[in-house]
Amino acid sequence: MQKQRFVFWTLAPAFSILAILALVSVAGALYFSVMDRSLRYPDYDFVGLYNYQRLLGDRRFLNALKISAIWEVVTVAGSLLVAVFLSVYIFETTRSARTRNLICLAFLAPVLLPRVAAAFIWRFLYSPSLGLINYLTGLLGFGPIEFLADPQLALFSVAVVDIWQWGLFFTVIMLKLLETLPRDPIEAAQLDNAKTWEIHAYVTMPMLKAPVISLALVKAVESLRSFDLIFVMTGGGPGTSTETLDLYAYQAGINLGGRVSYASAMSILLLLITTVVFTLVWRGIRKWSA
Amino acid sequence: MVSLIRRTVSRGFLALMILIALLPILWTILGSFKKLKDIVTPVPTLIFTPTLENFTTILQNPSIRDGLGNSVVIVGVSVLLGALFGIPAAYSLARHVERKKDDLQFFVLSLRFMPPVAIAIPFIIIYLDSGIYDTLAGLILVYLISTISTVIWLSVPAFERVPREIEEAAAMEGCSQAEIFIKFALPIAAPSLFGSLVFTFVLVWNELLLALTLAAENATLPVVAASITSLGKEVPWGVINASTVILVLPPLVFIGLLMGFINRMVATGRK
Repeated sequence: MQKQRFVFWTLAPAFSILAILALVSVAGALYFSVMDRSLRYPDYDFVGLYNYQRLLGDRRFLNALKISAIWEVVTVAGSLLVAVFLSVYIFETTRSARTRNLICLAFLAPVLLPRVAAAFIWRFLYSPSLGLINYLTGLLGFGPIEFLADPQLALFSVAVVDIWQWGLFFTVIMLKLLETLPRDPIEAAQLDNAKTWEIHAYVTMPMLKAPVISLALVKAVESLRSFDLIFVMTGGGPGTSTETLDLYAYQAGINLGGRVSYASAMSILLLLITTVVFTLVWRGIRKWSA
Repeated sequence: MVSLIRRTVSRGFLALMILIALLPILWTILGSFKKLKDIVTPVPTLIFTPTLENFTTILQNPSIRDGLGNSVVIVGVSVLLGALFGIPAAYSLARHVERKKDDLQFFVLSLRFMPPVAIAIPFIIIYLDSGIYDTLAGLILVYLISTISTVIWLSVPAFERVPREIEEAAAMEGCSQAEIFIKFALPIAAPSLFGSLVFTFVLVWNELLLALTLAAENATLPVVAASITSLGKEVPWGVINASTVILVLPPLVFIGLLMGFINRMVATGRK
């Protein structure tokens, strides 16, 4: 009896706060998405699915959907590739534990930076007139490159910053995971004269399948919240070439006349995409690792 | 000879990687001590007379000072409340819940992954209507979603690692559940719990979108920093660098802790 009361009083407050806040935001977004509320006027009416209908015909929304998809693929794949390649490289070339620790410390620094700070740091580096990167490319004979002002380049320039933060962070995790693997299968493969890359492609990476998938999931969902970085670096520009879903929702809901109902419809769609992806992958991981 | 070349090349490559990881940060720190004329040069300068001008500009700027103060209060209170509600819940989840455990953990994790825009948009309307828009309390309230869920998510494994025998022995001695939790489980799990609080702190300290939408005058440091670029005509790069440094310092202090945290997570993840 006394135990039940303890369990109740420890769980109830935390979970009721979470449930209420989650419910308020989801229900609120659903409710406003079928209204025509804007921040300028206090009164509003029921408009049914009009907002959703308009979204499907909104070029800017479809563009944001496309940009978000590209952003997802580039940042998730980029971070994982960097992590796999670098962790294997360090695992193979650096034996001393102290050096490895120093490398890990250096690689952890970027991910700890606030996104706003990382964005500023790289905007400064990318600057065509006084940035370090353009100075270096200048030494190599390339003219100043407009990393953030060129519509073709801007999204990838921002993605580099994201991979700089997360790819290096995942490298540390992958390296730690590699270190915990049992040595026997690796040594057996070495006895069979397997090349180093073969050992990792066919022995260690398959053993790390489950954690790599979880990392991909974490990154996939994290990449959906690209707002901070892109907002500070390009603000969605030039034009709409770096405008992801959350950026457009923000622009529509807060900046451009405050069409909050329209933005609500957008955030409901975003929520839906996130939930579907997240649930599917979560189930997938459970099944695979079980 | 070949192996020597190989070793040098691989050393060089690793050094380059470390440089790529750290140089942007170091360059910014360096920039924060430069006068504008040392920044706006065609050739990057390494030798210059350092100045504290940028930092004094920042600390005398009322909006940045307020941002810093607000950040400290908002982040502090929301992490504290997150710990107060989250840690006991995590303990019960780890020890006393069996059937519903997966569902509850899934719920907590799904909150962690909720896109901030989906929280920001409905809350801005509700806050405007109810008059708590642009208040510290309002921001703390929405941050509770992140802090409580993150604290729970990261603290459950910490409590699962506490040896059951100790708690069972304490129960035999006649300790109540609350006593077992406070006197035994909490102190043993404390180092890992501290790590989870640090992680939560970094997360909220770095947050921009919610603060940007739900506050105007009473925004946090990231919001204020993000708005500096639009001050005046000339981009004050020195000042921007300096405010970046101030923004970066608190999370970076915890880098060693994060490292230990990763080590423990990886170790328990693969038993």
